[in-house]
Amino acid sequence: MVEFYQPQADFGTPMSVGKQLVTLSIDGVSVTVPEGTSVMRAAAESGIKVPRLCATDQLASFGSCRVCLVEIQGRRGFPASCTTTVEAGMQVQTQSDAIGKLRRNVMELYISDHPLDCLTCPTNGDCELQDTAGEVGLRSVRYGFDGDNHLDAEKDQSNPYFTFDPSKCIVCSRCVRACEEVQGTFALTIDGRGFESKVSASQDDAFMDSECVSCGACVNVCPTATLTEKSIIDAGKPEHAVTTTCAYCGVGCSFKAEMKGNQVVRMTPYKDGKANEGHACVKGRFAFGYATHKDRITTPMIRDSIDDAWREVSWDEAVNYTAERFKAIQAKYGRTSIGAISSSRCTNEEVYLVQKMVRAGFGNNNIDTCARVCHSPTGFGLKTTLGESAGTQTFASVAEADVVIVMGANPTEAHPVFASRLKRRLRQGAKLIVIDPRKIELVSSPHITADFHLPVRPGTNVPTLNALAHVIVNEGLEAHSYIEQRCDVEEFERWLTFIGNPRHAPENTEEITGVPAADLRAAARLYASGGNGAIFYGLGVTEHSQGSTAVMAIANLAMLTGNVGREGVGVNPLRGQNNVQGSCDMGSFPHELPGYRHISDTTTRQLFEGEWNVTLDSEPGLRIPNMFDAALDGDFKGLYCQGEDIAQSDPNTQHVEAALRALECLVVQDIFLNETAKFAHVFLPGASFLEKDGTFTNAERRISRVRKAIPPLSGKADWQATMALANALGCPMNYSHPSEIMDEIARLTPTFRGVSYAKLEQLGSIQWPCNDLTPEGTPIMHIDQFVRGKGFFAMTEYVATTERANRKFPLLLTTGRILSQYNVGAQTRRTDNNQWHAEDLLEIHPHDAEERGISHDDWVGVNSRVGDTVLRANVTERVKPGVVYTTFHHPVSGANVITTDNSDWATNCPEYKVTAVQISKVTKPSNWQARQQSFDRQQRGLLERARQ
Amino acid sequence: MSQPQLQRLIKMINQIALNMSANGDPKMVGYQVAQHLEKFWSPPMKNLITEQPIDAQMALSPIAQIAIGDLRRMQLAKRV
Ligand code: SF4
Ligand code: SF4
Ligand code: SF4
Ligand code: FES
Repeated sequence: MVEFYQPQADFGTPMSVGKQLVTLSIDGVSVTVPEGTSVMRAAAESGIKVPRLCATDQLASFGSCRVCLVEIQGRRGFPASCTTTVEAGMQVQTQSDAIGKLRRNVMELYISDHPLDCLTCPTNGDCELQDTAGEVGLRSVRYGFDGDNHLDAEKDQSNPYFTFDPSKCIVCSRCVRACEEVQGTFALTIDGRGFESKVSASQDDAFMDSECVSCGACVNVCPTATLTEKSIIDAGKPEHAVTTTCAYCGVGCSFKAEMKGNQVVRMTPYKDGKANEGHACVKGRFAFGYATHKDRITTPMIRDSIDDAWREVSWDEAVNYTAERFKAIQAKYGRTSIGAISSSRCTNEEVYLVQKMVRAGFGNNNIDTCARVCHSPTGFGLKTTLGESAGTQTFASVAEADVVIVMGANPTEAHPVFASRLKRRLRQGAKLIVIDPRKIELVSSPHITADFHLPVRPGTNVPTLNALAHVIVNEGLEAHSYIEQRCDVEEFERWLTFIGNPRHAPENTEEITGVPAADLRAAARLYASGGNGAIFYGLGVTEHSQGSTAVMAIANLAMLTGNVGREGVGVNPLRGQNNVQGSCDMGSFPHELPGYRHISDTTTRQLFEGEWNVTLDSEPGLRIPNMFDAALDGDFKGLYCQGEDIAQSDPNTQHVEAALRALECLVVQDIFLNETAKFAHVFLPGASFLEKDGTFTNAERRISRVRKAIPPLSGKADWQATMALANALGCPMNYSHPSEIMDEIARLTPTFRGVSYAKLEQLGSIQWPCNDLTPEGTPIMHIDQFVRGKGFFAMTEYVATTERANRKFPLLLTTGRILSQYNVGAQTRRTDNNQWHAEDLLEIHPHDAEERGISHDDWVGVNSRVGDTVLRANVTERVKPGVVYTTFHHPVSGANVITTDNSDWATNCPEYKVTAVQISKVTKPSNWQARQQSFDRQQRGLLERARQ
Repeated sequence: MSQPQLQRLIKMINQIALNMSANGDPKMVGYQVAQHLEKFWSPPMKNLITEQPIDAQMALSPIAQIAIGDLRRMQLAKRV
């Protein structure tokens, strides 16, 4: 169905959450709304639009423009409808001669200082000022344009994505309020008074030099052309729109892809999207240009050896070539000698098909996913303790939290739209405990100061969490009746003996963790007795050799304090990639069928065997690191890798590269020639999220539609490519639309039983489990009882990593992300987001830098036990002495050349967060970097030859 | 499978055993470790470790040794 472009409906002021209903009359129409609703909104809900300029339903009403005046029987004057709340029996008139005159007078003043270039203005036809002038019937401007005005004010074009043209500004302050209320950055102010007043970024800086993080919230709400997307200035107004889901992070924001033909001209955050409610970050909002970047490869390619030039071929030839080689490998080396890696960036339906092809077509269970290297400990830890491998809440539930723990996560950089919600709640007074080696932005940012920052030494999350639990138990702060009713009491008693041991007391863990005992005690008391306690954690928890233990310790803390099973509480993993949750749900792990059911379970297996008409292997397959090991041993020879860049993202790069070189047939499906593709024999062109239909599942378990906005550039969406390969391998698949794949998933998976595209259309999005018991989904999990029955307190013994600092490697390196770049950077590096982060930097404390004679911006060598690389230094107190930090968005940085192959004991999730290193000043790139650059040149040359 | 592969598996089992060590007495933990391996390891990995005669050279922790014995029994039981 074509959805013609129109601005999203705006009711003028936010929806009221009042419980009582109030009935009033507006223009003679009886209207019933919740108490606390504004007169403006009540009118809008009944189809009556009151003209307005400073009001929008994204922001609290402000009452400055005086265009929205109405008459209310029994009241004097003309109250502003945006700031007046409804009362029972109120009689409101929105139109009269007197009102009309007043509104025209106000408009006249605004327009007398506004350029009249509507016909050539970039927002012509999409401008609230223009609309309002029309609505109030403005026909002339008596004041002329000769007096003082701002018509010559200079445009600020510094931001790569939007311009600020002050000559068009009406100083309604919507932008300032959006930056405060919606985004929480406080980058804008109104400087000066009266005629002098103007919008100013930071200290009257250019936008790019200010604190602005380019979220676009101010641009969304600006009623004029003052703040306008450059893409709109270039291309003009969109003509149709497609509602879809962001393909970057696990927040899963909903967007309108606004189109002109097959060109995306703007991504506008969708107000009805429940994950984001109209907000976005710089990635989803602006960084979509990669989808049509010249580096896109849109034709399948093959080659016999990685030293050969690529040869462009038809889809049929590429698919048949792959099938032949895979069959030959299996014939020679056995059934288990091939496998696949599915992608957390692809849709649920695509991931489901890849694992189906492996299990039913390859005849083994050698399927794994990149969640192996991020949140596999979450799956293990939450399943063990609570019974389900997923977060417990909705994002919106944080609005009811009283105490929030953020651990090993950096939401303002990695999950920005959630961070904005969280910051809103913190500004309202909720308390914050940050557990992180670094002083992340939340520790101290405008209007927010963490109540406690526990600066753990990398690798010591478990003793920190154990100490928190110890204090709670020791001081009798546990939720006795909750535990008695909801948890396995026998196990709890055993755990109590364990955790009560004085070795877990903060005074005794202080030496290990570096967290002062007094702070830790106070933080434990706050979490246990401060009301609703919610925990949000990220990869700083999971990517350790004790990642699974830490996740279980987090779940223990939440159960201990009764903080699971209602609004405002819970245990919430912040997922890295857009569809990590979904790829795990869809059976991407080698031991589990979709819905987290073990492959050895005969009943489940039979269900799938019946549907797929095959016999399934009952034994788990290889995990990604096992695949690499087996490849080096010569037992694993063929790999199909969809939408992942393991050569860049997985630890110990030299080891990974050696494994990839050992493969006889590596098939990479991606939108670019990524680092892994440089080792490939077959390249299947992937489709970006704009080119396909499907669903993503975000960190709230929310399943949202991805809708095709443009046709796949290569002619096939990823699910179609997998289907073709499966068919060539003799594993029949015949779907005409991803909705049919979802129907199959629903038939086979109890937690998805009630999910269908029709229902998604109707509800917008669905949080699983969705079945007969919960036909509209499950926003909050474990309400009356845990999914596993009784909550399980797992033992959380701390086993320190073998990766220790010593004289040779005295510093601990930890890794993370930055707002403007995403994961391995393949997408964001091909956008103007590079203007914020053109290279990965090494953060080092001034004390450590000085000791080594290192100054800001120097090139420094980073040596670990497994490798070395060279980065530029950023000397900062954000890291504490003894700790260094970098990001991994650029391949040339080789951040993973130095990370070790240590991994989580339960899941083999790599220990990215702890590497002992030495830092020294250097003058040239590392040997690995020199080799990488020459290999990169060679492979690009081989690609160019194919293209010629 | 090769010697380095065997060394890696031994390192993994020792690590699992150590991390589960607080769960109870060595016998019980050994059994839990065996269950973990049975649940998450692929057959070639399980075979490689159970087909080795356990000797002092292998640097297996006591719990890991119990686990391998239990895993061997689990595998035999499946074959019957
Ligand atoms: S820039 Fe736009 S939103 Fe901000 S004050 Fe000016 S007109 Fe209003
Ligand atoms: S783009 Fe976002 S951060 Fe920047 S000024 Fe606008 S609202 Fe503030
Ligand atoms: S917060 Fe995440 S999902 Fe939302 S727009 Fe940004 S990258 Fe996309
Ligand atoms: S819209 Fe009500 S005062 Fe501006």
